[in-house]
Amino acid sequence: MTDVATPESSPGATAGEGEPLLLQGDSITKSFGGLVAVDDVSFSIPRRSIVSIIGPNGAGKTTFFNMLTGLYRPTQGRITFDGRNITGRRPDKITAGGMARTFQNIRLFATMSALENVMVGQHTRMKAGLFGSIFRAPWVKHEEERVRDVGREMLAYVGLADDQFEQMAVNLSYGDQRRVEIARALASGPKLLLLDEPTAGMNPQESARLTEFMHKMRDEKDLTILLIEHDMQVVMGVSERITVLDHGQKIAEGKPDEVRANPRVIEAYLGKQGDKEAPDGDDPEREES
Amino acid sequence: MGAVDALKKFLKAYGLIAALLVLPVAYGIQDLNNQGNLERLAENLKDGISNGAIWALVALGYTLVYGIIELINFAHGDVFMIGSFVSVSLWGTLGLTLATGPFGLAIGLLVTLLIAMVASGTLNVMIERVAYRPLRDAPRLAPLITAVGFSFILQNVGILWLGGSPEGVPDLIHSQQQVVDVAGVSITRGDILAIGVTAPLVLLLTTFISRSRIGKAMRATAQDPEAARLMGINVDTTISFTFLMGGVMAGAAGLIYALYQTTVWFFQGFTAGLIAFTAAVMGGIGNLKGAVLGGLIIGCIQQISDNRIGGEWTPAIVFAYLVVIMVFRPQGLIGEETREAG
Amino acid sequence: MSVVAERFNRHPNLFIALGFIALGLMFPFFFDSGAGQMQTAVQALAYVAMALGLNLIVGFAGLLDLGYVAFYALGAYTMGWLGSGFFSEAGGGDGLHILVSGQITALPGVHVNFLLVIVAAVIVTTIAGMLIGLPTLRLRGDYIAIVTLAFGEIVGRIAINGDEITVNGTPLTAGRQGITPVDKIKLPGLDQFQALDLRPWYFVALAIVVVVLIVNFRLRDSRLGRAWVAMREDEVAAASMGVPLVKTKLLAYGTGAAFGGVSGAFLASFLNTVNADQFQFSFSIFILAMIILGGLASIWGTVVGAIALSIINFYLIPEVFKNAPQKIGLNFDLTELSFGIFGFLLVIMMVLRPEGLIPERRRKIELHEGVGPTSGVGKTVVEAKG
Repeated sequence: MTDVATPESSPGATAGEGEPLLLQGDSITKSFGGLVAVDDVSFSIPRRSIVSIIGPNGAGKTTFFNMLTGLYRPTQGRITFDGRNITGRRPDKITAGGMARTFQNIRLFATMSALENVMVGQHTRMKAGLFGSIFRAPWVKHEEERVRDVGREMLAYVGLADDQFEQMAVNLSYGDQRRVEIARALASGPKLLLLDEPTAGMNPQESARLTEFMHKMRDEKDLTILLIEHDMQVVMGVSERITVLDHGQKIAEGKPDEVRANPRVIEAYLGKQGDKEAPDGDDPEREES
Repeated sequence: MGAVDALKKFLKAYGLIAALLVLPVAYGIQDLNNQGNLERLAENLKDGISNGAIWALVALGYTLVYGIIELINFAHGDVFMIGSFVSVSLWGTLGLTLATGPFGLAIGLLVTLLIAMVASGTLNVMIERVAYRPLRDAPRLAPLITAVGFSFILQNVGILWLGGSPEGVPDLIHSQQQVVDVAGVSITRGDILAIGVTAPLVLLLTTFISRSRIGKAMRATAQDPEAARLMGINVDTTISFTFLMGGVMAGAAGLIYALYQTTVWFFQGFTAGLIAFTAAVMGGIGNLKGAVLGGLIIGCIQQISDNRIGGEWTPAIVFAYLVVIMVFRPQGLIGEETREAG
Repeated sequence: MSVVAERFNRHPNLFIALGFIALGLMFPFFFDSGAGQMQTAVQALAYVAMALGLNLIVGFAGLLDLGYVAFYALGAYTMGWLGSGFFSEAGGGDGLHILVSGQITALPGVHVNFLLVIVAAVIVTTIAGMLIGLPTLRLRGDYIAIVTLAFGEIVGRIAINGDEITVNGTPLTAGRQGITPVDKIKLPGLDQFQALDLRPWYFVALAIVVVVLIVNFRLRDSRLGRAWVAMREDEVAAASMGVPLVKTKLLAYGTGAAFGGVSGAFLASFLNTVNADQFQFSFSIFILAMIILGGLASIWGTVVGAIALSIINFYLIPEVFKNAPQKIGLNFDLTELSFGIFGFLLVIMMVLRPEGLIPERRRKIELHEGVGPTSGVGKTVVEAKG
C-alpha cells in the first residue's frame, strides 16, 4: 500500500506502525462561554488502529468526540480526516465521508425497528430522493431491497437474533440495543468508527466479547476504531494506543503499558476518586466525560 | 474569520437593533423634512410606551411561564381578554358609569383591578392544572395543542359573553383627556394610567421574585427543576404559583386595556397574545426585564405602524419582526444563552 | 388461510385503499348531483388532501406548523390570479388566454388551463413552504409553531389588505370582497364544469385525494420517510447517521405545502371565490384538529379525521344540530359554539387519546410511553447543524 502522507500531518505526530494517518486533530480547543472543556489537544489516529481515549469524568472526552463528528464546532484548532479538513463541517457530511459513531447513552430511534434503525444508518449510501420515492422506479425498489438485505446482514454480524430484527428498538434488551447501535454505525460503511463507552452496563464476559468483536470488525471491515472507555480491562486489552485527558487537557499518550505506569495518569484518577462526580446534565451532549 | 462569518456575527449582534430602528428613524427623517420637528414621532413613541406598558404586563406572563417550564402558554392572551371582560362586566355590577364621582370611581376601579387580577390569575392556574400538568411528560406537541384548544374555548366564552364584534365600553377615566403638554407631546390620562399602574406592578413583581422565598423557588426551578426538587422545593406548587403571577399581570393588563382603549373584543386576546409574545421574545424569553423592554419596544413599533402605515398592517409588521428575531437573534436583546431559545 | 386473507395481511393498505376508492366512487350516486351532502363531500375531500399535507409536516417530520392556511391561500390565489377576470388589464384588455377554450377565450383577465394552474400552484406553494420553513430550521417545537403561525398571519393580513397593495396599478388581492367569479374546471376532452352539477367536481377531488394518498404512502415507506421519523425522534442522532437536517426539513415543508396548494386551487374554483375571510388562523387549527383527531402521522387516521370534522363543521353543526341549544332552553344556535366545540375537542383528544382515532404505531408509543422526541423540559444544547 502506498504511503499517503497527509499534507497536514504535523511533524511530531506519531504514525503508529508506519501506517498513514486517518484522523488528525491539531490544537483542538472547545470553550463554552467561560468554561474550557477541551484545551489545546492534538491527536492523531493511524489507519486500522484501535485507539482509546480515557480520563476521569468531566475530562472532555465526549466533547472531543462531538467535535470530531461535527456536533460541536471547535473554538480553535483543526481536524483532518482522510486527507480532508473537516473542522466544523456538518455531521451528516462527516458521516458521508466515512466516520460513524455510537453514543454513550444509547440513541437508537426508539419507535423504529432494529432493522429500520440500521436502514437509516445507510442514508448516505442511498440515492433515492423525493421524486424517486414518489414514483418508485425499479431502481428505487432494488435499492430498498438492497438496503434491507445489508441491514439484515449487519444485524446478523453484530449478533442480533433473527427474530429481533423487526422488534421495536425500545423493546430490545440493553445488550441488543448496543448491538443495534453498532450495526447502525457500521451500516454507513465507515472508515473510522467512534464508540462512546460501548461497554457501559456490560458484565465482564460481555465486555470481553465486545473486545474480541472490535478486533474482528477492524480486521474484516478494514476499520479504524476510536473508543472512549472507562473499563480499564477493555482499554488495556484492545488498545494499541491510549490518550489520556484530564480537565480538557491531554496529559499522557502512548502504549497501554506506558500509560498505565504514568504517574500523572495515576494521580488524575486517584485524585478524582475523592471528588464528587460531575452531575450528569439532562443533556447527553453536555456530558463531559 | 472569513468575510461571511464576520458578516454573520455582525448581523447577529446588531441586525435586530438595526431592524428595530428602521421605522422610527425613517419616519423621523420624514417628519423633519415635512414638519421640521419630531413632535409627531415623539407622540408616536409616547403612545407606544403607554400601549407597550400593557403589552409588557402580558409579556411578563409569557416569560414567567416559559422560563419555568419552557412552554408557550398559548392561551395567555385570552386570559388577558377575559381579564378585560371581567373588568367591564364588573363596572356594570358596581355601577361605575361616566357619572360616578372621582372618589367612587377610584374605589370601584381598585376593586375591579383586584378582582380582575384574581380572576385571571385563577384562570391561568386552572389552565395549567387541566391542560399542562397531565401532559408534562408528553411530547412537546401535546400541551401546545391543548393550549390552542383552551384559547378557542375562551374565545368562544368571549363571543357568548359580549358578542362577536368589538364592544365599546364607557370611557370611565376620560382616557384621551390631556393632563399636561410636554414639548408638544400631549400626555393624557390614559398614559398616566398605563404607566402609573404598570410601573408599580412590575416593580412589585420583580421585587417579589428576587426577595421572597417562593420567588427564589421559581428561579431555582427555572434554572434546574431536578435540582430544585432535590433541594426540597415543591415544583408543582411553584409552577402553579408562576401561572398565578402571570395571570394576575394579565388581569391587570386587561383592566388597563379596557380603560385605555375603551373597546373590548373577544378576539383581542389572540392579537394581544402574539404581540406580547413577540415582546417577550424580543427582550429575551425567560428574562423579566427583557419582557418589559420588549413590551415597550413593540408598543412603539405598533404605534408607529398604526399611525403611519395603517392599523390593518400592524399585526403583519409585528409578526415580521417576530420572524426577524427568530432568525437573527432568538435569544432576544438581553436574553441569556443558558437555556437556549433556539 | 384463504388466499384473499393472506394477500390482505401483506398489503393491508392496498385493500383499504381499494375499499375507500370503491366507496368513494359509489357515493355520488346516492344523492342528487346538486345535493347539500354532495357539497359537503366535495369540500371534505379537498380538506382531506390538505390534512394529508399537514400530516406530512407535523406527523411525519414532527415540525409543528400552525400556519398551514398560508398554503391554502397561495394555492387559491394562484387560481384566482390565473383563472378569473381579476387582472382585467391583461393582454391590453382582451385578456391573456393559455390553453383554454370555449366561452372563456372571449373574457378579459388571465385565464389559464386548469391543469397548468395546478402545476403553478404546486410550484408556488412548494417554494413558499420552503421559505417559511427556512427560519424555523434551528428552532425548537414551540418556536416553530409560533413562527409558522406568524407567517400564516402575515399571509392572511396580506390577503385582507391586498386590495391596497398595487403593482403598476393592479391590486394584489381583492381583500374581503374576494376574487369572483373564478373559472370553473375544464379538463381536456370534457365539458367545462358547472355550478349545479357537483359530480364532476367530486370525482376530481377524489382523484386528487387518491394521488395525495399514493404520494403519502410511498414517501412514508421510503428513505425520506425514514429520515423524517429519525429526525423527529432524535435530530442529533439522525444527523450523526447522515441525515441532512436542512434538506430533510425543507422537503417536508415543501411537499406538505404543495398538497395545500393543489387543494387550494381546486377549492378556489369550486367555491367560485377567493376572499380573505377564508384565510384566517382558525383554518390552520381546523386542519390541525383533523390530524389530531384522526391520529398524528396516521394516513388513514387523517382521512377519517378530515372527513369527520368536515361533516361536523359543514353539516352537523349548521344543519342537523343547529337548534340543539334551543331544545334545552338556551337562546343561540350551535354555530356560535363552533370555536368552543373545536377547542374542547382538541383538549379532550390530547388529554384522553392523544394518539387519535386510528393511531399510528410509533406515535402511540411516543405519546404513551414517553419515548421518542423528548418533551417537557428537554433541551438540545447542541444545535445540530445541517
